[in-house]
Amino acid sequence: MSTPPFSPAMAANKIIEMRDVTLSYDEGAEVLRQADLVMREGDFRFLTGPSGAGKTTLLKLIYLALKPTSGTLKIFGEEVSDLNGKRRPDIRRRIGVVFQEFRLLDHLTAYENVALPMRVMGLKDQDYRADVMELLSWVGLGDRVTAKPPVLSGGQKQRVALARALVSKPDLILADEPTGNVDPEMGGKIMQLLLELNRLGTAVIVATHDFHVVRRIPKKILRLKEGHLTLHQPLAELQGAANT
Amino acid sequence: MSEDTSPSLVLPRRQTPLLPEAGAAGAPLMTVLAVLAFIASLALAGYLMVSRAASEWTGDLSGTITVQVRGAAPDIVDQQAIRVMTLLDGFPGVVSATRMSRAETLELLEPWIGQSNLSADIPVPVNITAEISPALRQDLSDLRTAIAGTAPLASLDDHGVWNDRLVRAAGKAQSLAFIILAMITFATASVIVFAARAGLAANRSTVEVMHLVGATDKFIADQVQKRYFSLGLRGGAIGAGLAAVLLFLMARLGVKGDDVFLPDIQLDSAMLGWLSLVPLVICATASIAARVTVRRILASDIH
Repeated sequence: MSTPPFSPAMAANKIIEMRDVTLSYDEGAEVLRQADLVMREGDFRFLTGPSGAGKTTLLKLIYLALKPTSGTLKIFGEEVSDLNGKRRPDIRRRIGVVFQEFRLLDHLTAYENVALPMRVMGLKDQDYRADVMELLSWVGLGDRVTAKPPVLSGGQKQRVALARALVSKPDLILADEPTGNVDPEMGGKIMQLLLELNRLGTAVIVATHDFHVVRRIPKKILRLKEGHLTLHQPLAELQGAANT
Repeated sequence: MSEDTSPSLVLPRRQTPLLPEAGAAGAPLMTVLAVLAFIASLALAGYLMVSRAASEWTGDLSGTITVQVRGAAPDIVDQQAIRVMTLLDGFPGVVSATRMSRAETLELLEPWIGQSNLSADIPVPVNITAEISPALRQDLSDLRTAIAGTAPLASLDDHGVWNDRLVRAAGKAQSLAFIILAMITFATASVIVFAARAGLAANRSTVEVMHLVGATDKFIADQVQKRYFSLGLRGGAIGAGLAAVLLFLMARLGVKGDDVFLPDIQLDSAMLGWLSLVPLVICATASIAARVTVRRILASDIH
């Protein structure tokens, strides 16, 4: 597969630029095979695929928890395949991640969990308090700010995780099954929020099994199967075309 | 936002530490640090007391000389003692001279001859102590020659042998105390390195999340350092405080050292000032050791 040359102008508004990326585990199993992916500001992609296909692994690659075995990966225009530890935090601060398993800190309150990205940036509590409270209220947890994760339900934890991912107003949001543990109404609200942020220019990738969500929202789909990453037109458009 | 969820109403003012309290390991670790601080405080107190005593010993001895007049004939001894007193009174650099009475001399001999009453005709040397200037201390040869010419039975003792022995003994005691302090510092650093490694391993998932939301290694090391600084300060303060209480009680109860060589226990403001440094040294050692350990681990980690 030929790799087009990068130019600064092209990279200016590219959020993710993945060329010929292969990712293998130590035991040799390939999760990604020569994958290509380009996402720009304002792009929205669903990431689908069978269980165990490597959706979470692909997201890990993007939020720099894994390094590609080969190929080129640029995030916000910066080559990250062999990024040193000092630059990594700067890039991660521009990415909001909703982890599938939430990854909340049990000893912190809901408020403190949401505020974590701001706190690690060295900001003072008064600088972000209003934003954190507003987000918690928006996800319906305004009355649970002092509750700690062990006493929250799965859906509540998911909403805290979502609020944490959004609080720093990131340029890229990676959401791993963001509607997996919430009721349909909250799921709808979460997707509406992600779409609204996307409309304002934030790039979003939503890894999901929820066929109803994918069908309802007309956004392009990344499909990952047996290591191959392919881009598809929105399901809604395909269905519409089929109906006409 | 509803009124009952106002941040000022519901949120605690103090932020929870990002790394969980050391928990089960926190109290034992603080106890270990307190014990180390306690031993360090006693070693430091010993060092200071010996230093002070050595300074007093050498100061007392180096500023004085003793002229001893010995002989079988008490009359001749007495005549020569008078001549020595006359010489000393006018000799440049001699500040004062005092002839010890027979009773005082016998008191000095008590450890060897006991308290039995000696017959008056048994010869007892006459001791004359003189306070001299530092300049004369530098060169006693003229005085020694003058005494030999004035009183052949007299000998001048400049306490040099005693002085050297006391200085050597004090130096050994001080070295021992210094070694103990160095070993305690080393032990503190080792304990903290072990605890910091274990703590980081126990909090691995928390550290991972902090990294994933954009924390730098420096930020995480700062959090760990704060924790161990606080632990070191508390442990150090408890240990040094207990040592100060012990020294105070010993001083109040009149626990004395050997009458001749070992100093009495004194807990004055200077001693308290030095003891107050112990918690600071313990917490500085703990926080630096923790920081270096964490930075090394994080630097070698892919995160």
